[in-house]
Amino acid sequence: MIPVRCFTCGKVIGDKWEAFKKRVSEGEETKKVLDDLSIERYCCRRIFISHVEVMEELLKYVKNSKNTKNMIT
Amino acid sequence: MKITILEQNGNSLRFVLSGVSAPFANAIRRIIMAEVPTMAIDDVMMFENTSAMFDEMITHRLGLVPLTTDLDTYLLPEECDCESEFGCNNCRVSFTLDVKAEAELKMVYSGDLIPENADVSPAVKKIPIVRLANNQRLKLEAYARLGKGLEHAKWQPVSASTYKFMPIVEIDTKKCDGCGDCVKYCPKNVFSIEKLKPVVQNEINCTLCMECIRHCPIEPSPIKISHDKKTFIFYIESTGSMPASKLVKEAVKILERKTQSVIEQYKKVK
Repeated sequence: MIPVRCFTCGKVIGDKWEAFKKRVSEGEETKKVLDDLSIERYCCRRIFISHVEVMEELLKYVKNSKNTKNMIT
Repeated sequence: MKITILEQNGNSLRFVLSGVSAPFANAIRRIIMAEVPTMAIDDVMMFENTSAMFDEMITHRLGLVPLTTDLDTYLLPEECDCESEFGCNNCRVSFTLDVKAEAELKMVYSGDLIPENADVSPAVKKIPIVRLANNQRLKLEAYARLGKGLEHAKWQPVSASTYKFMPIVEIDTKKCDGCGDCVKYCPKNVFSIEKLKPVVQNEINCTLCMECIRHCPIEPSPIKISHDKKTFIFYIESTGSMPASKLVKEAVKILERKTQSVIEQYKKVK
């Protein structure tokens, strides 16, 4: 999951992640998207550039059945 | 003392404070960062968490969500007379959250927190908290309270609270040969060329980096850079809990209260 705030300066960045991911995957230039979302400082920018969504990978292993609950608790 | 607002948009504020000393400007800057109280979630009761994330991690993420703060109705727990460990209606706000993913993946957002008092609600609604797979559920009750940035960064109302001296950039046009190197090398576009000679265009943007002087071929350089020690350019960026202008007002109030207590202590000693 994307951090809620920038580790260094404390700016709220979590809410901008989905827009960033969508626009970059559609082929827009990373620099332009970050400028558009008004992420100015390099401390916040590096989080976006280097972030890997591990949660998506984890959720692949949750079975599509009613036993899900027992499996993961 | 004089304040001129340069720019105010959304959560950020840029203003010039003139006629004060550096320690005074720094006191305001530090009080904004560390001592203006803000609301943040501090206690969480977890009823059901079948998500892939640990309770502690979810709680930590919830704590970092900025909440709109009403300083008139709520008191700091240490100043509240309830003296209860769990707080009372004057020093605590509760939130509930109950999200269940039925058949498909579902994202839990900060906006899913339902406040007991609508005046205190998540300032940013679209912060992802955790992603739920089918049949996973997150149910909890969260308690927010006022706190100070001194205690934990989640109570810090700003993500940037900075100031710099007012720069003074001067060019001796008699000595300048108009090569234009200062225009080319200045990272902040302070200079521009007019009638084959550089002129100072955006003096306020200068960061006193001296790059123009370093690249100037004339020795000694006709450019002179100095700063006004009594004028400060402030930049304040709020997290959304309060407008930046209100933060400055609150900080000044706190500073006044502090100096007042020093005067009172002094009178006692006398």
